[in-house]
Amino acid sequence: MMILAKLAIGTATTLMVAGVYTFREGTIRVDVDEHREGGAHVHVWAPAAVVPMALHFVPDSKLREVYDHSSEWAPLARIAARELRKYPNTTFVEVEDDEEHVKVSTVGTKIQVDVTGPQENVHVTVPLAMVEDVIAQIAARQPAS
Amino acid sequence: MNILSNRLTRRPVSIALVGALLLAPVALLAPALSAQEVTVTSASSSTSDRWLHVRVVDTNHKGETVRVNVPLEMAEKVLPAINKDRLHSGKVRINDSDINGVDLKTMLEAVRSSKDGEYVTVQSNDNDVRVAKQAGYMVVHVTEKGVKSAKSDKSADKSEEKSFERSRVDVKIPMKVVEALLSAGKDELDLVAALRALSAHSGDTELVSVKSDDSTVRVWLDSKNVSD
Repeated sequence: MMILAKLAIGTATTLMVAGVYTFREGTIRVDVDEHREGGAHVHVWAPAAVVPMALHFVPDSKLREVYDHSSEWAPLARIAARELRKYPNTTFVEVEDDEEHVKVSTVGTKIQVDVTGPQENVHVTVPLAMVEDVIAQIAARQPAS
Repeated sequence: MNILSNRLTRRPVSIALVGALLLAPVALLAPALSAQEVTVTSASSSTSDRWLHVRVVDTNHKGETVRVNVPLEMAEKVLPAINKDRLHSGKVRINDSDINGVDLKTMLEAVRSSKDGEYVTVQSNDNDVRVAKQAGYMVVHVTEKGVKSAKSDKSADKSEEKSFERSRVDVKIPMKVVEALLSAGKDELDLVAALRALSAHSGDTELVSVKSDDSTVRVWLDSKNVSD
């Protein structure tokens, strides 16, 4: 009976920890709607905590490739992600014409990119903390030069 | 009761483990809550932040409008991270700064050291350029001229050329910002120092205004995080 109780506590606590961690990290949201006939409709909601975790399983050689391609803008993106968190619910860039509308804004502590056009609508929301975590992890796993 | 207390004292490790497991979510939640507190604090303090706004309206191509809103504090921190071409560590190299025959650095130095109201004027068939210093601001006006032929009243065969204003650029920069720009030394402009000086500048200021037939550009500074 005691063993069962311990197991129940363990499971409940693990679920709680996982739930709180997911809540803390937020969710990634990707919505793509193509307007053409038979066009794709992609709607993905995923816990942001999954991305830094998944990075642990990426081989170092692959991460090195990513780092080589991103070394120029990665420090910039990391600082920008940190700074953007100080400005919740703000529109930073907005481009619109007769047909298309592009908006880059923060919604709470997430960065949101909205593209609305005659061909397709794309909405991407990513927690800024996750961006910072991912860039930090990629940089940390590079061999010291 | 005694049995319970005995069990508790006998198994401190188990109790510590259960306690730690139960408190773990609270510990994990704490940073999230404190982050929210930070967000609230910064959101309320952001009203005193200085924002740089850029608006470009292109009437020629599908009526495109671009709006950019950047907090100066953020720009100050992001700019030093950009190291590309002439831009490095928040400074821009201008060693071959002869832009259309105008030595930018020398011109800025001249304006900085000159008395208020003194100005430089360049007049040509294509452009008029005026650089002045007024009430703590450096003012630059550039007018691009065009020529169109119009039929004269006297003779239908003869036509006379009339010049018209093709585009107009007005720049108004606080002198403190100009001085900060030049603080980097020879052949460099310190953009971060200029941003800092711009942050310290009080009041709403229109920095750049460009008007032409097909587009309008406006760059201004205020304390609002929205363009309009």
